[in-house]
Amino acid sequence: MDLLELLGDFTVRSVALGAALVGLVAGALGSFALLRRQSLLGDTLSHAALPGIALGFLLSGSRSLTPILAGALISGTLAALLVLLLTRSTRIKDDAALGVSLSLFFAVGTVLLTYAQRQVGAAQAGLDAFLFGQAAAVLPSDLTLIGGIGLAAMLALALLWKEFKAITFDADFARSLGLPVLALEALLTVLIAVAVVIGLQLVGVILMVALVVAPAAAARQWTRRLEAMVALAAAFGALAGVAGALVSASARGLATGPVIVLAASALVLASLLVAPERGLAWQAARSWGRRRALGSHRVLVDLLRLGQDHRDPAYASEQGMLDTYFGGPTGHVLRRLRRRGLVERVDHMPEEGAHWVLTPTGQAQARELQVPFGKRPGDEAPR
Amino acid sequence: MTVVAGVHEPSLALHVEDLTASYAQQAVLWDVDLNVPPGVLAAIVGPNGAGKSTLLRCIIGAVRPNAGHVYVHGRPYREQRHRVAYVPQRTSVDWDFPTTSLDVVTMGLYGRLGWFRRPRRSEADEALEALAMVGMDAYADRQIAQLSGGQQQRVFLARALVQDADLYLMDEPFAGVDATTERAIVDLLKDLRARGKTVVAVHHDLQTVATYFDWLALLNVRVIAQGPVTEVYTADNLRAAYGPRVVLLGTTDGAPAAAATGAAPGAAAAPVTDPDDGEASATEPSTTEARSPVA
Repeated sequence: MDLLELLGDFTVRSVALGAALVGLVAGALGSFALLRRQSLLGDTLSHAALPGIALGFLLSGSRSLTPILAGALISGTLAALLVLLLTRSTRIKDDAALGVSLSLFFAVGTVLLTYAQRQVGAAQAGLDAFLFGQAAAVLPSDLTLIGGIGLAAMLALALLWKEFKAITFDADFARSLGLPVLALEALLTVLIAVAVVIGLQLVGVILMVALVVAPAAAARQWTRRLEAMVALAAAFGALAGVAGALVSASARGLATGPVIVLAASALVLASLLVAPERGLAWQAARSWGRRRALGSHRVLVDLLRLGQDHRDPAYASEQGMLDTYFGGPTGHVLRRLRRRGLVERVDHMPEEGAHWVLTPTGQAQARELQVPFGKRPGDEAPR
Repeated sequence: MTVVAGVHEPSLALHVEDLTASYAQQAVLWDVDLNVPPGVLAAIVGPNGAGKSTLLRCIIGAVRPNAGHVYVHGRPYREQRHRVAYVPQRTSVDWDFPTTSLDVVTMGLYGRLGWFRRPRRSEADEALEALAMVGMDAYADRQIAQLSGGQQQRVFLARALVQDADLYLMDEPFAGVDATTERAIVDLLKDLRARGKTVVAVHHDLQTVATYFDWLALLNVRVIAQGPVTEVYTADNLRAAYGPRVVLLGTTDGAPAAAATGAAPGAAAAPVTDPDDGEASATEPSTTEARSPVA
C-alpha cells in the first residue's frame, strides 16, 4: 500500500490519530518529567504497568481496555510509591530504587502474563501486544477511551499550568506562596503515569519511556521557553506517533512501538546536532569560527607590530617570519586576509619567498584589534 | 468577634517560639526562640551547619518542624503568608530551566493570582517594574541560564519585591555576587527598611554584618544571642557561636580577640552536619576562622 491508500483507510487513519494523541500527551508531560529529572520514572511506570495489565484482564475476564488500563495505572502508581518509600526510609538512592521497583514489578508482570495467556481467549485479547505495541490490535472503542483520557490529562495540565511550572522551577518558593507542593507533585506524577498508560497498547511497556523522554529532550534543544518546549515536545511526540503507526500499518506484523521510538530517536539526534545554540553542529561551527577569527586577528596584529618595529606601516614582512611568530603555517590565513582586502602580497625579493604588507584598511583594523591583545611598552611613545 | 483570639506578640514582625527540627534524629534546630521587631534589617549568622537555612525553610513550611510555632505580625504564619516574601539560596534551583527573567519575577505574583488564573499584561508590567528596581529591566527577556550569578540573585530579589510583602526572608542574598551587586543589594535592603519593611537574612560574612544590618541573631543549632547588632556583636557571643578559635576584628567590646589556641572550657556545642546547609565558605572573610573541631 502506498501512503495515499493508507491514509484513505479508516482504520489506519484512526490508529494514526490515536498514536498522534498518545505522542502529544507523552511529549507534553514528558517535558515536565525531563525538567524534574524524573525521566526514568517513566520507565519504571511503564514496566510496572505489566502486572496491572495482566490482572486487569484476569479479573475482568475480557479484553475490554478499561479494566486493563485501570490495572496498569494502579500497578504503575504502586511502583512509584515503592520508589518513594525506598528513597525516604532507606539509604537507597533514586536510581537504585527505580531499578529495584522496575525489575520487581516487571518480573511479577511477566509471571502473571504467562499465566494469563494460558486462559481461554487470551490469544484473541492480544495481551502480548502490550509488550512491544501493536497498532493492529487497537479497536475503535479503545481509541475513544485513549483519546478521552489523553484530553483530560491535557486539560488538567492547561488548568494547573502555572502551578506545575512553579513547583518544577522552585519548589520551596512555591511552598512559600502557599501552594500544596506535595499534592501537586503527586498529581503531576499521576498525569505522567496516565500519559504512559494510554500509550501502552500502541508502543508497549518496554519502549514507552522513549515517548516520554525523546520528544522532550529534542524539544529542549530548540527553545528557551517552557511554553514553547512543551508545545514542541507535543508536536514531536505526535509526529513520531503518526510515523510509527503508518509504517507499522504498511508493513504487516511490524510492531508499532519500535517504529515510533525510532522516529522519536531520529528527532532527538537531529535536534542534538543542528538545533541553534544548543546543537552540537551549531556549537562546533561557532567554536571553529572563533578559532578562525582569532588566527586572522593574530596575524594582522603581528604584521602591525613588525611594521611598528620598523617604523614603516607598509613594511613587507616575510612569510617565514610570520610563521615563526604565529607558531604554525600562516599561508591560509594570509590568503583569507587578502581576499578581505586587508593584506597584499609583494615579491620584492623573489629569492627570499613571499612577503606581505598591510593595506590601509588592514592597518586600521589591526590597530583596533591591538588593544585587547595588549600593547607593548613604547608603542605609545611619540616617534 | 473576639479581638484577641489568635493574636500573639503583635508588636513583632517575626516571632518564632520553641522551634525544633531534626534530620535523621539529629537536632538541626533546638528550641529556637526568635523575635524580630518590625522595620529592621536582621541578620541570622552562625557557622556551617548551624541550621540557618533550615530555620528559614521551617518558617515558610518547606521543612516540617518537630515542634514550635511561627507568628508574623501577631498572627500565625499560615494566615499571613501573603505578607511574607521568601528568597531561597540562588543555587537551590536549576538555572538551565527554559524561562526568562521576566517570567521568574512574574512567579512572585502567582500567590496573589490564585488557582487557574494566568498572569496577564498588568502582571508583566508589575514584574518589569520590580526588575527595574534591581537594575535588571534590560534583561527581562534574557534566558536565565545566560545571567551571571549576581544577575540571578537580582532576579530572585525582584521576584520577592513584586510580592510587595511586609516581611522578607532571604537565604544568603550576598552569596557569590560581585562587589557592585553586593552594594546594590545593600541599597535595596536599606530602601525596604526605609519603607517600614522587615528583612531577615541569613548572612555569612562576619566582617560586613555590623555595617549592613542593625539587628542580629547568632545561631548555632540554638539561638546564642539576639538583639540590636551593637549589643549582640561581641567577641564573647561570636566565640560562643563559632567556637573559641574564631578570629575577630572590631567587635563592639573593643577587644579584638587574638587567634585562640587550644580549646577553651565551655566551648559552644559542636555544630552538626546539616546536608541542607553545606554552603561554600568562600564568602567568609579570611580573618574568620570559623571551623569548629568536629571530628
